[in-house]
Amino acid sequence: MIIVSEDEDDSDSNPFLFLRQPVHDSILNINHDYRYLRMGYYVSAHAETFGVDVTPSCAEIMDAYRNPLLIEKARRNGMLTGDYRLLVSPQGELRLPVLLFAVNPFTNNSMKVVNSGEKLPGMIKKMSYDARFPVSLHPLTGEVLEIIQIFGESTNEETSEFTKKFFEIFNIPICKLVVQIDDDGIILNHCEPAMKKEVDWDIVHDKVHEIKKKRYENSLLCRGIQFQG
Amino acid sequence: MKIACFVEAYNFKDSSERSALLRFKSTAESMGHAFEFIFKDKISKIQNYDALFIRAVTDPSNSAYIVSRLAEQYGLRVIDDPHSIRTCSNKVILHDIFMKNNIPAPKSSLFTGDYSGEALDDMRKTLGFPVVIKTPYTRFSSHVEKANNEEEFIKISRHMLRKTRVLVLQEYIHSNFDWRVGMLRNEVLYSCKYCIPEGGWKVKSKINGRNVWGDTIAVSRDSISTELKETCIRLSECVGDGLYGLDVKETDGGYKVIEINDNPSIYEGYEDAVDKDIHERIINALVS
Repeated sequence: MIIVSEDEDDSDSNPFLFLRQPVHDSILNINHDYRYLRMGYYVSAHAETFGVDVTPSCAEIMDAYRNPLLIEKARRNGMLTGDYRLLVSPQGELRLPVLLFAVNPFTNNSMKVVNSGEKLPGMIKKMSYDARFPVSLHPLTGEVLEIIQIFGESTNEETSEFTKKFFEIFNIPICKLVVQIDDDGIILNHCEPAMKKEVDWDIVHDKVHEIKKKRYENSLLCRGIQFQG
Repeated sequence: MKIACFVEAYNFKDSSERSALLRFKSTAESMGHAFEFIFKDKISKIQNYDALFIRAVTDPSNSAYIVSRLAEQYGLRVIDDPHSIRTCSNKVILHDIFMKNNIPAPKSSLFTGDYSGEALDDMRKTLGFPVVIKTPYTRFSSHVEKANNEEEFIKISRHMLRKTRVLVLQEYIHSNFDWRVGMLRNEVLYSCKYCIPEGGWKVKSKINGRNVWGDTIAVSRDSISTELKETCIRLSECVGDGLYGLDVKETDGGYKVIEINDNPSIYEGYEDAVDKDIHERIINALVS
């Protein structure tokens, strides 16, 4: 397995060099931002073109970052999600308060909390770029938390089981999750890139170290050498 | 079967496109299928259909990708499928596919903003001038520019790199037309010549400040050369088995593929002017 990361300490290759070379081995693509048209996405796309396994795959990236795809996949895999609706303009009776997430190509960090019925139409109009893109509405029923998920670990102890399950399903090494905690448990609402400064890079280094150690042990086993210690 | 056709309001503005959409509907109905236009506010109802045909512009960033992926996950037959959208919408990914599969194409390279003398020399020797500069998300000849010299190259590429991390540079090949070969399930569906308008260098060119489209000349799919057909099939198979439109230059050195597009234009009286059965074949692919 080749580790591709912008962080020189962790990586076998940096993304710019990686994109110029053919790929023959499986890839672990470590990035805090896998958005479409960003370097994190291209690394996965490049690996896929050469037919090798890559974590995360492009489909996994899109499934996590596009809100309706995230929620549907989470539901299918038994995670608790809110009863979301996709709207391009205000219509029907809308229960308040709600969390709004943009489903457009431009907006990151898009969560808006709307408590007032008066403000909702204007907010939907703005976030939908005047009905050009859908907006995802989630009922606000609990305490809202933003947590950073790193290889299944959470920056918030209360959500560590949840992030472990999230990583098993979505296979995104680093991301920010928006969740609500209410009487039913932890509800997944949104996933987006983490900012570099939000990531605890010590956890990333530890995880990468573990992966490299396993890789080394496997290579010894393949060569018939017993690993000791 | 119940077919959803995902469209946006702009799909009905041009009368030829509107007529083509209505032709799809009447063809499907004459074959005993329901055919409904759906818009982005109905994305979450997609599981109520058996098949999805996307005519709105596709891109991983827009609503068409979401409906495509949801439909795939619900087990619908889908044109354009999410994999084809992810692959064809991005010229950087296509560059990789062409290289890996030795597809005959103009020489090309990726550019991430290295303006050192060595890098520019290298580019000049490999691709020469003029050189075509593309953003990853180019479509309908937009976000594609031609630089005639190094000064123009630096100016245009710097401007484009404000919105993307990577550009594709491609050797410029002069021609009076591009072959457009429509593929469905890795068979040729239709073929035509997309002509370059006089005074321009691409199918949609800016001439005297106005966007001008070249003519479309439909050519029977049975009359195109075996070499062109085989080249198109080979590339189409590298991407998938969906509906694609390939742009190909005919040169003294053989055919050279410029790109493969998912969601190719089908306007009444243009792509379907000679091979009249393309609507029926597409509906068949959706229901069988």
